[in-house]
Amino acid sequence: MVQLLQYAKRQANALRSDQTTETTHDARPGTHLQLWFLVLLVVFPIVVAVIVSTKETGVVTSLGDLLPGSYAVENYREALVDYRFGRFMWNSLAMSLVIVVGKLIVSVFAAMAIVYYRIPYKDLVFLFILFTLLLPVPVRFIPLFQLMNDLGWSNTILAITVPYIASATTVFILRQHFLSIPTSIVETAKIDGVGPLRFMLFVLLPMSKGVLVGVSIIMFVYAWNQYLWPLIVIDSEANQVAQVGLQLLQGDVQGGQLSWSLVMAGSTLTLLPPLLLMIVFRKPLLETFSIQQK
Amino acid sequence: MSTREIFDSRIESGLLLLPTLLVSIVFLYYPTALAVRTSFFDSSFGQADEFVGLKNYLTLLTDSGYHSSLLLSVLFAAVVVIGVIAVSLYLTFLIHEVDTGQGLYLISVIWPYALPPAVGALVFLFIAHPTLGVLTGPIEALGVDVDWFNNGPQAFVVVALAAIWKQIGYNVIFMIAAMNNIPDTLTETAALDGVSGVRRLVSVYVPIMTPTLFFLVIINTIYAFFGTFAFVDLLTSGGPSNATNILIFDLYREGFSFFNFGVASTKSVVLFLVVGVLMLVQFRVTDKYSYYGG
Repeated sequence: MVQLLQYAKRQANALRSDQTTETTHDARPGTHLQLWFLVLLVVFPIVVAVIVSTKETGVVTSLGDLLPGSYAVENYREALVDYRFGRFMWNSLAMSLVIVVGKLIVSVFAAMAIVYYRIPYKDLVFLFILFTLLLPVPVRFIPLFQLMNDLGWSNTILAITVPYIASATTVFILRQHFLSIPTSIVETAKIDGVGPLRFMLFVLLPMSKGVLVGVSIIMFVYAWNQYLWPLIVIDSEANQVAQVGLQLLQGDVQGGQLSWSLVMAGSTLTLLPPLLLMIVFRKPLLETFSIQQK
Repeated sequence: MSTREIFDSRIESGLLLLPTLLVSIVFLYYPTALAVRTSFFDSSFGQADEFVGLKNYLTLLTDSGYHSSLLLSVLFAAVVVIGVIAVSLYLTFLIHEVDTGQGLYLISVIWPYALPPAVGALVFLFIAHPTLGVLTGPIEALGVDVDWFNNGPQAFVVVALAAIWKQIGYNVIFMIAAMNNIPDTLTETAALDGVSGVRRLVSVYVPIMTPTLFFLVIINTIYAFFGTFAFVDLLTSGGPSNATNILIFDLYREGFSFFNFGVASTKSVVLFLVVGVLMLVQFRVTDKYSYYGG
């Protein structure tokens, strides 16, 4: 495990001296053709979903039926209002924002302590946090469920947010980034007698904007896409999140009470928030990933 | 590193670390410890826990249903990991080869990173539906009778395909970074030696990318074991005849359909060992390969 720490340090050094190289060589025309084909395969299922969400019924038995219909407004209205996706999406958004903001604050604190404070047994503390990577929800959801009952948190937003607030990944990424901030800046701050709070607010955070945006997107996508835990711990429809809302639609459509166009409208709605965030913030996201890879 | 340690108040560093440590202990370590404890008890709703020693473990050792679930999970992970790596590697290579439109190609294949598994599952349920699916007609034209609601191997393939599709984005993100780091001189040398096309990918790029690929193999394996719950739940519910009953779904049913918390906790402990071994292997091996740089 100590190897991991040394390794992480080496990687941080390597990252700092990293130079991305441009490749310039002629692509064969076939390359674009193959790419087009593969991109089409990757995008096809979602294109189908969006098209079907605009049709009257979800009956699309041949590729020729894949033309947009004129029921988009009606379908999305029905999904949002009658099938309560407005409510579910709102719950998902509240859950995701609480997790993102909570994780950010708590992890910035922890990473700052680990990098900028003289702490006894620092490596052990860091390992204690990293070790939680071995404890994903599936390993502990049964006792966690009982714990939520004991705390009286079942069916509340506390149950689907608080257990997620501690984040080994976020602390790790922030630590790596903090280690890449030049020591000269840190030393200047020390000579100027800057206190910890001012150091965090006026030195650390301004120098970490890209990473903070990047980890926020990673955490938002992670939180928004949670399925198993809300399925277990939330049982009232009013508090349910969009992912589990989709499961309710699935039950209805398999039972024949619902048209597929509505299910695809619900699916499209649920996909939009993480997808849009990812597309808009792809640059800081990709840069942050390059820190995460150990 | 020591030059970065500009603060030394024990109280401040303790306060900064407190939220992360507290949440880790209460919601990660404590439930895991409880799971380990419960694995030695006969535990269910509305009855006092009864200590049974290793009985639950012996039950799993002799339970052929659990053995097939374990085997199935390993097979599923192998298919998903190989499928994801192969497709993503080729896609990344093609994107790396082209000079124009790289950014656009990249975003159109990495977007499934943001895809909620529940959405991916429902969209697959629709396009591959045995009677309604858009793809069902064309596939049946090839002479395959699409019947995965009843046909186990077909159900396995559908779940695996959906799981592979979702994971392509994450893999390409890391692969493109690794491939862009390969020095141009190497590509030029390979070209001079007459090594081109896919052969350059396999015999020049892949060996250099070993650390990244290994990292992805582990991440994808963990994903196949734990991150695919929504696909199984929404597409097949573990069926038909347990053909897609992978460990995580089996555990969920043991806990929340049969309420055998004792046996379910034992299964959690087994899963914990699975993640533990995978992570350990990752740390060891990435450390060994680290001199390739990153």
